[in-house]
Amino acid sequence: MTDTAPPNRQKARLNPVLSRYLQAFVMPKGQIGLGLVILLTALALLAPVLFPGGYDMQTRDSLLPASWAHPFGTDELGRDIFVRSIYGLRTDLALAATAVPLSMIIGTFLGLSGALSPRLGSLVQRALDIIVGFPGLILAICVVLVVGAGWTALLVAIVIGGLPGFGRLARATFLSQQHREYVVAARTLGVSNWKIMVRHILPNAIDPIIVQGAVFVVAAVFTEAALSIVGLGLQPPEPSLGILLNVGMRYITMAPFYILGPTLILVLLALAFSLLADALNSTVNRK
Amino acid sequence: MISFLLRKLPSVAVVALISSAIAFILPRLAPGDPALAIAGSDATPEQLAAVREQMGLSKPLIQQYLDWMFGMFRGDFGQSFIMRRPVTTVIGSRLESTLELAFLAMLLMIAIGLVLGVLAGSPRSKWARVVLDIMTTLFLATPPFLTGLLLILFLGIFFPILPISGEVGFFENPWLALQFLILPALALALPQAAIVARLLQTAMNSARGEDYVDLAKAKGVSPGRITWRHVLRNSLGTAVVALGLRAGDLLAGAIVIEAIFARNGLGSLAVYSVQSRDYMVLQVLILGAVILAVFIQLFSEIILAALDPRIRLES
Amino acid sequence: MIETRQAPATQPLLRVEHLSTTFDMGNVSVRAVTDVSFDLYPGRVLGIVGESGSGKSVTARSVMRMLRSPGQVREGQVLLDGEDLLAIPEREMQAIRGKKIAMVFQDPQAALNPVMRVGDQIAEALLVHGTSAKEARKRAKALLAQVGIPDVERTIDQFPHEFSGGMRQRVVIAIALANNPTLLIADEPTTALDVTIQAQILRLLAQLRLELGISIIMITHDMGVVAELCDDLVVMYGGRVVEKGPVRDVFASPRHPYTAALLKAVPRLDAKGDEALIAIPGSPPVPLRLPSGCAFHPRCSHAIDKCFNDTPPLSSMGDRRESACWVAAAGGNVEPRPTDEFGRHRRQASGAAPTLRLDNVRTNVASSGGLFSKTPPVYAVDGISLEVFPGETLGLVGESGCGKSTLSRTIMGINDVSEGRIEVSGTDVTSMDLAARNLVAKTIQYVFQDPFASLNPRRTIGQSILEALEVVGVTGAEADNRVVALLIRVGLSEDYVSRYPYELSGGQRQRVGIARALAANPKILICDEPVSALDVSIQAQIISLLEELRDELGLGYLFIAHDLSVVRHISDRVAVMYLGRIVEVGTAEEVYGNPQHPYTVALLSSTPEPKPDQSTEHRVILTGDMPSPARPPSGCRFRTRCPIGPAFRSDREICNRQSPELAATASGQKAACHFAGEASLARG
Repeated sequence: MTDTAPPNRQKARLNPVLSRYLQAFVMPKGQIGLGLVILLTALALLAPVLFPGGYDMQTRDSLLPASWAHPFGTDELGRDIFVRSIYGLRTDLALAATAVPLSMIIGTFLGLSGALSPRLGSLVQRALDIIVGFPGLILAICVVLVVGAGWTALLVAIVIGGLPGFGRLARATFLSQQHREYVVAARTLGVSNWKIMVRHILPNAIDPIIVQGAVFVVAAVFTEAALSIVGLGLQPPEPSLGILLNVGMRYITMAPFYILGPTLILVLLALAFSLLADALNSTVNRK
Repeated sequence: MISFLLRKLPSVAVVALISSAIAFILPRLAPGDPALAIAGSDATPEQLAAVREQMGLSKPLIQQYLDWMFGMFRGDFGQSFIMRRPVTTVIGSRLESTLELAFLAMLLMIAIGLVLGVLAGSPRSKWARVVLDIMTTLFLATPPFLTGLLLILFLGIFFPILPISGEVGFFENPWLALQFLILPALALALPQAAIVARLLQTAMNSARGEDYVDLAKAKGVSPGRITWRHVLRNSLGTAVVALGLRAGDLLAGAIVIEAIFARNGLGSLAVYSVQSRDYMVLQVLILGAVILAVFIQLFSEIILAALDPRIRLES
Repeated sequence: MIETRQAPATQPLLRVEHLSTTFDMGNVSVRAVTDVSFDLYPGRVLGIVGESGSGKSVTARSVMRMLRSPGQVREGQVLLDGEDLLAIPEREMQAIRGKKIAMVFQDPQAALNPVMRVGDQIAEALLVHGTSAKEARKRAKALLAQVGIPDVERTIDQFPHEFSGGMRQRVVIAIALANNPTLLIADEPTTALDVTIQAQILRLLAQLRLELGISIIMITHDMGVVAELCDDLVVMYGGRVVEKGPVRDVFASPRHPYTAALLKAVPRLDAKGDEALIAIPGSPPVPLRLPSGCAFHPRCSHAIDKCFNDTPPLSSMGDRRESACWVAAAGGNVEPRPTDEFGRHRRQASGAAPTLRLDNVRTNVASSGGLFSKTPPVYAVDGISLEVFPGETLGLVGESGCGKSTLSRTIMGINDVSEGRIEVSGTDVTSMDLAARNLVAKTIQYVFQDPFASLNPRRTIGQSILEALEVVGVTGAEADNRVVALLIRVGLSEDYVSRYPYELSGGQRQRVGIARALAANPKILICDEPVSALDVSIQAQIISLLEELRDELGLGYLFIAHDLSVVRHISDRVAVMYLGRIVEVGTAEEVYGNPQHPYTVALLSSTPEPKPDQSTEHRVILTGDMPSPARPPSGCRFRTRCPIGPAFRSDREICNRQSPELAATASGQKAACHFAGEASLARG
């Protein structure tokens, strides 16, 4: 009564989940994405060290075009736009770093709540559907309306805006997993609902949610930028990429490079996280 | 289909009711007093009271809500506090601009999304695939306002081909209007089109692995016909669902795009209303946006049922 | 068997020579098919038999030039009427596919385009080969009628989802026949179908061969199907042909140890239940890691030193027979040696109280519906009574949709009982409250069908079993010891504790599933199709393990399966289920030896047996499909398909009116039929 086993493969033993994610950085798009993310995060983190003068150093040289001294030019008060962009990036990344994990955790839990009680699950689903009913920025505007423009409004708007995305992914996993034989097996053993959710369903939901998380970082930054452009986001003089664009739009014909710098940073940011998400996605989908 | 619509009616009504309540309550939760804004900061308490009375703000909230709801059934959407004109007039004057923008943007989204998706989902050389892949990834990563900014910079300023701010009514001068419309519409459409294209591509790739594609090949069907009759035909449902979902976002994107391109549409009206706390305009705009999104959903469900015989609207 | 087995014509229709196919995975090149050669003569049926990974499907796809990427033919020729199909341009091949060679696929559910009308799908096969649209539609109608689709004028414009599985397979066959091909390749065409439907399709294929003179390559894992339909046989193992010859001769005296072992590992319908199966140890090799020398040597009881290093060539063994075995070439015996045979003794009913008792249980599976709509109840289980005693196996047989899985889910408390009563160890657990649930979980455990799905891919084997122990309160070092003990008990070892499911073969996973079920020391196991997802050579291992455990631990089994031979082998008593009800129940000898219900007769008669000379003339083949439990027929539920019922004998309108009770019959068992005992097996 022996069954020949395939030969042992010891290398994957350390942690198969982690090593799977690491595979994403073997492919070029994963490497470029990760490289850009590290570069941008480092710039943002080290901004006070790199530019100890702060983002508000005014000079008389207003609206200068790009030069070696001012790679992105200067603004209407003669402040260096590159420095302001980096400080703006710092604000935006800080916002994303707070809002995205929050939204991810709450959304995932909401999506999985059906594992605890089917009724709770469908109730939550209804609630998320209502949020989805408010397309894009309209939801954010509603939040701004209630909370008042500023950091808190942005945080709340981003967290709520992300819930349906994470919630749906988690719920889709829950729905597809709940009739899987190993979930039924655990249930017939008498394992509690809570343990079934944490042990059996959550690990299977994690992959798409992490990918969505990377995508959502971009969405979070863009929410800030979009709201600030229309004047409902952060308020000057606080530096953010959105505010730079908001002000820059006024000088667009006179000094088009004003918005070019912050736009470039935004594009890089979007590219970085999209590539990362793409690479992660193709790794987790590889069987 | 009639019975499908009838069956959907209760849930549409519920959504409309809930969103009307939200649209009504949200602005009123906000700090600040619209009466103060109208009467001016140096108004006496008596003047304020009079303004409140005149605007109906002194009534209980539930009464105000009911007045508003019943008013809408009679075609009376209320008075704008700030502009002192009926909401219908205020919105009506901005409607054309947004409608033109949304219509063109939707057309572009459908056209670009489907074409890109089909190209990316068809077997072709590695080189073409990489190019298409980069294109979709790029569009995917840039939201409408960023696309708009880039379009302005490149097609408006560095190579001044198209106008970048302002607008002209379509019926006054169609040709000029189109020139003003093309950049903002593209900015709105491209990111959504990329999402649609990516989903369609994924759907086509997975359909290609199905057994019925093998059977078609075993029948002797040519690769082109397989792509059109079997692969694409089975993936269109995904595209329709995606288009339905993206349409709502496309409308919402108009808010920023109008700001960037200095267009006086409903988006800029919404922003102005938030800033000036003009409840009466705002609640109608929110309600309208939600209901429009619901109808687009409904519409895409009907098309989906027409495409897929397994989905029957009746049962 | 339809008698067309005259001597083959001199010129083969299809000659495959030295075919080798590889799949390039990055830096490794996997050999899926190596040096395969065979001939197919006009008008004959060639069976290609093998288990998963044997290369049988890849061979078929190589012939069609329809390999999935990255598959590539490395060497060889595929000569159709003398023309090498591998050498012509793709465009010419496209003209041959569907015209000269047609293919039928395994899963009719997936093989039809869901958004295209069936008529259009048949017509397409004609259109692409140059027939006019009008002509194509006319021909489509004729084809549908030819493959036995009723009411063609209406059904031609229906969509695949409006057809049952068997009907869909008929449509796929109609598509294949569209251009009168000379060669039909059928890749496991009946594997996804129920046994009564399988019998219909096999009969259809036999008929077509006779009427149209079409040549067929039949790819299958089922020796019964081969015996019934094929003239010649090719046995594949590890990507190579290991034996070739006329079916009758190969079955009578196999010349390769694998063929011999395979024939012995399959339970027989006519066997007495007390013969032990001779299991083939180990599992079929994965193409990526083929053993050296003869690929079968690790599992072969006759292997000699030479087998370890040198691959045996296919050599002639007399009249049109070939085999690739060093031992057989030297004239040695290749019949499997009964290894660690586990003698099985028939157990008497112990007189103990039943551990599980169901009394008139009904289960409503209709979804609860919305707030405003009330859905009518659908009873997938409709008044079932049964008992399972300690140490005994009750086999439950039925086709898909008969409600057997709903029944097991109801016992486990996954579905709610609508009516009736369930008792476990004498306690009423119908309510499934907390106490009842605990009692059920402690007393009854479940072995699942699909060992790939029943283990969480993200958890190690140890974690999966630990979880089961944790529920019954065993923790810490004691739990770790129990895990190891359980693994050893099911024939695995301590090494498996830290492995993940993907590192295990199907058979090993099923052993883990059994170990997990045993963790709570249950008294009863519900085995829901525990071997149907496994390769034939593995099935015997698992069945033997289950029998061993039952006799050692005094477990009671409710053994649910569609495979009548397997049920016959393991069961003491057998219940036959149709559309939510039990139609016949009795001891295995009674039910199999002298079936009383016409449905049981049809099931037994439809099961293909690995005996090439069995006559199929008098076979009872049911028409149509099982009705939906949402709209069960009035009176007797079987009457719509019953060969002795009102559909064939109009005077029997009692069947329309009155539902027959399950009552004792003359031969001992109980049957629910107004005319019990009338239908009988005509075994030739």
